[in-house]
Amino acid sequence: MIKAKGVSLRFPNGTIAINNIDLQVEPGDMVYVTGPSGSGKTSLLKLFMGIEYPTIGSLEVLGQQMDKGQTSRIRQLRTSIGPVFQEFKLIKGRTVAENVMLGMRFLDLSQDQLKENAHDALAKVGLEHKASSLVENLSWGESQRVAIARAVARKPLLILADEPTGNLDKDNAINILELFKSFIDQKTSVIITTHATHLIDAEKHCKLIQMNKGSLSWERLG
Amino acid sequence: MKLFSSNAGYFFKEVKTMIRLNLFSNSLTIFSTGLIFFILAMIISGWWVSSHVVNVVQGEAEINVYLDEEILNNNTGVSQMVESIKGIEGVQAARVVDQDEAYNRMVEILGKEASVLNKFDDNPFSSFVELKIDLQEIDPVLEKLTHMMGVEHVRDNREVLERLRNIAEALRVVGILVVAAVGISTLVIISHIIRLGISNNKEQIYTLRLLGAPELFIAFPFLLEGLLLTIGGGILAVSLATFSISYLYAQMAGPLPFIPLPPLKELVSGMGIVVMSLSAVLGFVGSLLGLVSVRNN
Ligand SMILES: Nc1ncnc2c1ncn2[C@@H]1O[C@H](COP(=O)(O)OP(=O)(O)OP(=O)(O)O)[C@@H](O)[C@H]1O
Ligand SMILES: [Mg+2]
Repeated sequence: MIKAKGVSLRFPNGTIAINNIDLQVEPGDMVYVTGPSGSGKTSLLKLFMGIEYPTIGSLEVLGQQMDKGQTSRIRQLRTSIGPVFQEFKLIKGRTVAENVMLGMRFLDLSQDQLKENAHDALAKVGLEHKASSLVENLSWGESQRVAIARAVARKPLLILADEPTGNLDKDNAINILELFKSFIDQKTSVIITTHATHLIDAEKHCKLIQMNKGSLSWERLG
Repeated sequence: MKLFSSNAGYFFKEVKTMIRLNLFSNSLTIFSTGLIFFILAMIISGWWVSSHVVNVVQGEAEINVYLDEEILNNNTGVSQMVESIKGIEGVQAARVVDQDEAYNRMVEILGKEASVLNKFDDNPFSSFVELKIDLQEIDPVLEKLTHMMGVEHVRDNREVLERLRNIAEALRVVGILVVAAVGISTLVIISHIIRLGISNNKEQIYTLRLLGAPELFIAFPFLLEGLLLTIGGGILAVSLATFSISYLYAQMAGPLPFIPLPPLKELVSGMGIVVMSLSAVLGFVGSLLGLVSVRNN
């Protein structure tokens, strides 16, 4: 699903966000990425989504080589990814339901399927009752859950969630992690960055990656 | 194609949202393109009317031959003249219009003003010979007629025709210039508002790209917005122009009844079709330019 060999990411200003990592993620893997602020967690997810490209090394995501020259293929690849951004990236001026549906409008889904998926996803994150609210009127935790609903409603092959529980209370956080886990049974891979290591400890079937100054170490293999 | 058909509702809603969020610039755009298209509509109509008049008048290339007094007083002389005029190459037909007919024609032309003719004690018109000729032969025919014995003078409507042609030609040139000016300014206005829309929606566009939306899906609402704005301007212009033209027709019907104006309905619908198609094309191209100029940045 993801194969990284000797991948480094160096920003134009000289910052080395990712430093020579090797990584392999299989279908149905649940991978937690943890590490201090600035250690490169978001940068890693950006590489997997083709927002940044490796400066050195080779990276393959869902069979697609992640190179600069492949932008239209990478755009296509993104339709198979369910991203949850650290800053949510919801679209203002639109309702919660529209935001969730917008993530699916260009997938090959019927209108009924679209509405059903959106409704299901909102139910799973406990926000059915907010479906017709404008996203700018939501709390942080609610916004985060809309972002998660948008990602999972697409039924992606790969979920990339950046701090998805960062703004949630414990009950909601556990609920969301349960939701993500329900996907690994369908061979979807889930990669979650988090500071909430205490929640991970409750998880058995997962892999844990520790990031430090752009370097990666496997803490535990599930 | 499914991408568009199944998302039609969404696209229109997006356009509505974009226009609502930027209502002032969007209204201003509709208003200014409307004004520009109005000028265009009036020029096109003027051009249309003048070329219609030219065509009608041209079709009636009229030559009237006035005969000497002596011949007029002598019936056989007149018919002999008609026969010899018919013999000229290029003349298709010739017939005598007598005094009464000439009088009646003028009554018809003057319409309500015909009462001025009552001021004359006698019929002020003289009879003449009316010719139908081959348009190409007009010069040699005229040449022969003027040198013919018994012809007092020949009246033709070449001069009027020439003047009308000049007007039509001038309107055509002005029309082309106006179309060019309208085209360029509409493209500038529309591509600008689309650029503005895109920069207002930068974040949204970026997010859609991250979600894997195809570029066409992202661009489509902007294309639609540009199209709707110019079509709005077009509708505004056509309504205004229809109103103005109807008013001008009503004004002209009284004092200038003999100008062969094209039927009002035909003129208005023709002008409407031209302006609306032009506005649609310009809206589409303008938004496309706006999109492309943003992409190149
Ligand atoms: N566009 C950029 N240009 C230059 N440096 C960057 C850029 N984006 C990130 N960095 C730097 O790269 C390093 C890794 O950043 P990253 O966002 O991946 O950290 P993170 O582990 O996600 O942190 P956090 O837990 O705070 O979200 C940081 O030092 C950051 O300042
Ligand atoms: Mg981060």
